[in-house]
Amino acid sequence: MSRDTLRGKVAVIGIGQSPTGKVPGRSPLWLAADAAAKALADCGLPKSAVDGVLSSPAMASSFHRFSVAFSEYFGIQPTFSNTLQVSGATAATMFNIGAAAIHGGLAEVVMVVAGDSMLSGLTPDLALRALTESRDQQYEMPFGIPVANTFAMTAHRHMKEFGTTAEQFAEVAVVQRRHASRTPGAQQTAPITVDDVLNSAMVTTPYHKLDCSLISDGGAAFILTSAEHAKALGIEKPIYILGGGECYTHEHIFLMPSLTTTGAVQSSRRAYAMAGFGPDDIDVAGVYDCFTGTVIMMLEDLGFCPKGEGGRFVADGGMSYGGKIPSNTHGGLLSFAHSGIPGSLFHFYEVIAQLRGQCGVRQVEGAELGLVHSLGAGFATNATTILGTESTL
Amino acid sequence: MISPQDALKKPVPTPDADSAALWRGLRDGELLLQHCGACGDVQYYQQATCRRCGGDNIAHRAASGRGKVHSFSVVHRAPGPAFKADLPYAVLLVELDEGPRMISSYVGGPPDEVTFDMAVMLVCEPISDDIALPRFRKA
Ligand SMILES: [Zn+2]
Repeated sequence: MSRDTLRGKVAVIGIGQSPTGKVPGRSPLWLAADAAAKALADCGLPKSAVDGVLSSPAMASSFHRFSVAFSEYFGIQPTFSNTLQVSGATAATMFNIGAAAIHGGLAEVVMVVAGDSMLSGLTPDLALRALTESRDQQYEMPFGIPVANTFAMTAHRHMKEFGTTAEQFAEVAVVQRRHASRTPGAQQTAPITVDDVLNSAMVTTPYHKLDCSLISDGGAAFILTSAEHAKALGIEKPIYILGGGECYTHEHIFLMPSLTTTGAVQSSRRAYAMAGFGPDDIDVAGVYDCFTGTVIMMLEDLGFCPKGEGGRFVADGGMSYGGKIPSNTHGGLLSFAHSGIPGSLFHFYEVIAQLRGQCGVRQVEGAELGLVHSLGAGFATNATTILGTESTL
Repeated sequence: MISPQDALKKPVPTPDADSAALWRGLRDGELLLQHCGACGDVQYYQQATCRRCGGDNIAHRAASGRGKVHSFSVVHRAPGPAFKADLPYAVLLVELDEGPRMISSYVGGPPDEVTFDMAVMLVCEPISDDIALPRFRKA
């Protein structure tokens, strides 16, 4: 890896989140703009200070250039902008690319922003069909393959190869619901048990309804700038981007090299190498959790436990408070909210808030180093970002 | 955004320059695989070049139609209204005897009889005058 990386060169100085869950009567652009205004207020910058905007398409919006439509809506004219689309992995790519753009001199203050209204802006049927539209029109869609199905086939294979059980998958949902019960604004907060998960309606084997993430409304926004600029602005607790990595192993699920080992191995290895840390150093994680089994596979591929042992790791409390790597402490896509691409930005919001020490009853004691992994399209896309406080520089 | 009207219809493949031969073959009852003349690699997903070596000396040969179930998932919640009448159905990730894997769905029996590594056989099922889908039954 080249010596002059973006490690520690860029800081997150503002974070904002719109109302999440069910937010009727609000468009994806409104949700994005509401989060954007909060992120600016968080760091005390005027909107005129933003010269870069990175965003992602919204399923309930017809704008092809969402970042451009957002800038018009928000009343700014940035000199760097793009609408990124690598499905669920987009969130981490926005941070990686935003940091690279600042480090490379393309922009000084980049806003990472996204919003979508999959719950209120689409019917449940249309939301599921919209997700399915992202599969190949000739080789996948004609067979009635929901997006859930691609992930389900990987989880199913994981059960066959490693003996992972439905109870272990369910445990992920139980842990994250417990986390969500302490998060203001979480969509689902009622406690659940493993039996509740196993008795919920089957969606696509081996996944029950409670193994699947939510469908929600919501937006999130972040302000990124250079470490020097953050200092000049007198920002109290900048959170630094220490490493980023991505990996794209296939487009079609049938061309995935292995159904049980994913591109997260490569993306995280690259992020760790840039950051100069390993999985044992990470204090808190946001792990993409479109389905329960996804989390188990990611805990393995991100290096928090050996391959094949993710089920046992979770059942033994590995992703809970006091465990090896407290993960999705806000409740994640399974219990906090999942409004499409912004869903994984909520992981960023939580991990950054944890590193700032702002999480109150949810606070992970002494959290200095965090990791967020986002992924999408049946593990076709993987992106990792490592963040840390000043003490990790 | 997909319209509510379009969501009522099942997606029908539209062959393109890369895939015309595949869909012609399926219409005529055979699954054509692409064999690379340079490196010998076999691919199911059709394109003008070999993904392994980049060569463009590609020959189409009919597959044996035999394979086994590498993974599967039985769908109980349809991906939109068009598939509701088919529930429950098994989506298969089939590994063909020739090597490539493909997505398909199970026919000829209840979905809960599908198991890992089960031997399956190709069935070309017409869905229009021009298009037949490659599905699989128990071998
Ligand atoms: Zn070749």
